[in-house]
Amino acid sequence: MSNDRVRVRGLSIFRPIIYGNTAVVLTQKERDASLTPDHTHRWTVAVRSAASPPDGDQVGGADDLSYFIKRVSFKLHDTYPNPSRNVDKSPFELTETGWGEFEIQIRITFVTESGEKAATLYHHLKLHPWTASGEPEIPPLDVAMKLGPVHSWQYDEVVFNDPYQNFLNILTSHPPTPLPKSKRKPVPFHLAHPASLEASKGGTPEFTTQMAREEEERLKEARTRVVEEQEKWRAMLIEKENELMDLQKRVNGIEAA
Amino acid sequence: MPRELYALIGPSTPALSAQLAKPRLKQKPNFGGTAPRTKWELRTFKNPARKDGLELRHWEKVGADSAADYPFAKYDIQPNSYQYSPEEYTRLLEDKDWTKEETDYLLSVVKEYDSRWYIVHDRYNFPGGHERTLEDLKDRYCSVCRKLIRNRPWAGDDAGKTLLISSYQFDKEREVTRKKYLKSLEDRTPDQMAEEEALYIEVKRLEQSERRFKRDRENLLRTLAGIDSGLPDIVEDDPLPLAILEGSKTKTKKTKGVAEAESPATPAAAPAPTVKKPIKSAAYDAQHCIIRTETLSAAIATKAAHQPAYLRSFKLPAPKAAIAPKVTQALAELGISHTRLVMPTRENALLLDSLIEATTTLVETKRAYDKAEYEIQVLENRLGLREKSQPAEGAEGKIEGGAGMDVNDAQVGKEVEETDGEDGRAQSILSARSGGRSRKHARRSMSISSVDTVSTRANNKRQKRN
Repeated sequence: MSNDRVRVRGLSIFRPIIYGNTAVVLTQKERDASLTPDHTHRWTVAVRSAASPPDGDQVGGADDLSYFIKRVSFKLHDTYPNPSRNVDKSPFELTETGWGEFEIQIRITFVTESGEKAATLYHHLKLHPWTASGEPEIPPLDVAMKLGPVHSWQYDEVVFNDPYQNFLNILTSHPPTPLPKSKRKPVPFHLAHPASLEASKGGTPEFTTQMAREEEERLKEARTRVVEEQEKWRAMLIEKENELMDLQKRVNGIEAA
Repeated sequence: MPRELYALIGPSTPALSAQLAKPRLKQKPNFGGTAPRTKWELRTFKNPARKDGLELRHWEKVGADSAADYPFAKYDIQPNSYQYSPEEYTRLLEDKDWTKEETDYLLSVVKEYDSRWYIVHDRYNFPGGHERTLEDLKDRYCSVCRKLIRNRPWAGDDAGKTLLISSYQFDKEREVTRKKYLKSLEDRTPDQMAEEEALYIEVKRLEQSERRFKRDRENLLRTLAGIDSGLPDIVEDDPLPLAILEGSKTKTKKTKGVAEAESPATPAAAPAPTVKKPIKSAAYDAQHCIIRTETLSAAIATKAAHQPAYLRSFKLPAPKAAIAPKVTQALAELGISHTRLVMPTRENALLLDSLIEATTTLVETKRAYDKAEYEIQVLENRLGLREKSQPAEGAEGKIEGGAGMDVNDAQVGKEVEETDGEDGRAQSILSARSGGRSRKHARRSMSISSVDTVSTRANNKRQKRN
């Protein structure tokens, strides 16, 4: 037992998670039935495992994350009653209704064995459909309803450095479901990759390793281009500097004469 | 059948057909009688390596594709040649033994003679420089290239970079020693060689007799004192009995040197499991998302140094604050946002880091370029002013106009101009200068627009892919 609380040095272990929200437009009937008829959307904000369950219409959440997450606190807009909501068991999600987008503070508390402090992250609650430009554009409700649920999810990895032996044991006894290698469902839209807008349409999206590979390619392509451009500029710079030195010499020569 | 023959071969008469069949002779070689002749024709071809567009002719098979490119063009590979800006020189390449001018000269000579070092060394004649050996030249050249590769942003993967750097690896000391050894080996006189040979044989003989002596002693000890295994040190430094014990005849045949190289059997066997283990644990690590890093023994001691748990996206690299807006803008043109990644995996974060680094260098290069351009203008203005105050020396103007061109041209121009300076020159000077400047601007704007088109094209491609 004593060596359970020893840190395993030189090792970092991560868990892929996603956080974000799904939003649907409320029907008129639902709105009439609720206590807050001005609310137009129902949304669910959640922290889930990155892989999606094989069956089911949900983004991510194939694994139960409660083995390393103790609590997730969602801090909503102050206009909500009791805006700080704690979720202490899986699934770590919260469903509410509302009419506007706002920033949600998500605080992830890890299990005690981890000996880690809580991590805080922010998610912009997304109610209205994505646009290619990224500019918010609020379509009329009936149009939005036809477009279907809005998804806004961010992939991330929780990294634990030098974990305690017993925490490491807990983690390794729960290997995460690997992400599918290729695309089976629509791609989750992300502002950093606006070109994915078309691919994100038509149903519940799913995170895949293909997305990581494609981003890797995008980055590599950009780097190649930057390096090429830099080589060109450097050649021009060398030319310029030689010209400058030449001029300098001539000026010095004239001044000396 | 004649009786005599029957007596000889008996009743087993060979078949008649076998006797009547034509004897088979070796097939005559067919000297192009029936096979269709290959037709050749004299065709002109162009070698793309030639800049003057010279057309030569060579024989080609008639059937061959006449429109095909010159097949040997692919062997015309230009070696990488490196150039450095003065800023890079002062930052990376300063060497107390070399001036920048001499380094410039060295690189130009190496380029001219295509890294053929003996020729480079032969032709190397830097005015005012002291004598350089071939190793000096090679060492300087390789170190310059290595430093440039290491410090410049690299487009490919790390393995390629290391490979390229290692191709410029040069150990001067070792090379010098090697050549010294070779020289001394070549310089031996026949007497010395004979003596060496004799000494070698003598040593072998001594070794052998010592071995025999040891064996005898061991045997003697065994018979006298009954020691089971003899003396350990005797067995150890004697590879021959060991090899015999193992019963491998091949080993005894090998020279002592080889046997010794192979003899540490246990260490050689030991690496095998350590090689296997990473492969097995790599799959395990991938499954559990474990990343192992080399632990520094110094880091273990400090408990406070523990890095708390974090989200990968929190540690995304950021450009230097001073040039962050420009880097962000440049990356945005390429469709990359450095603050957010779709999939902030470890690999992508590292890639983003190298991308930001490359972009930073690009922005800095552009800035240096603008600075140089500005300084050139300042100097040109000064020269212009001077020229007005000294109308008698209007000759200088021509040089100024030619500043964008080669240095040598300018110098030639100076000499020519010295002989006749006329008033009419001034106009041509001005036009030449303004022409030069507008050309510069055109070039710049061109490159900017090319960046734009490139980035939009990239976007199109991306859309198509998805």
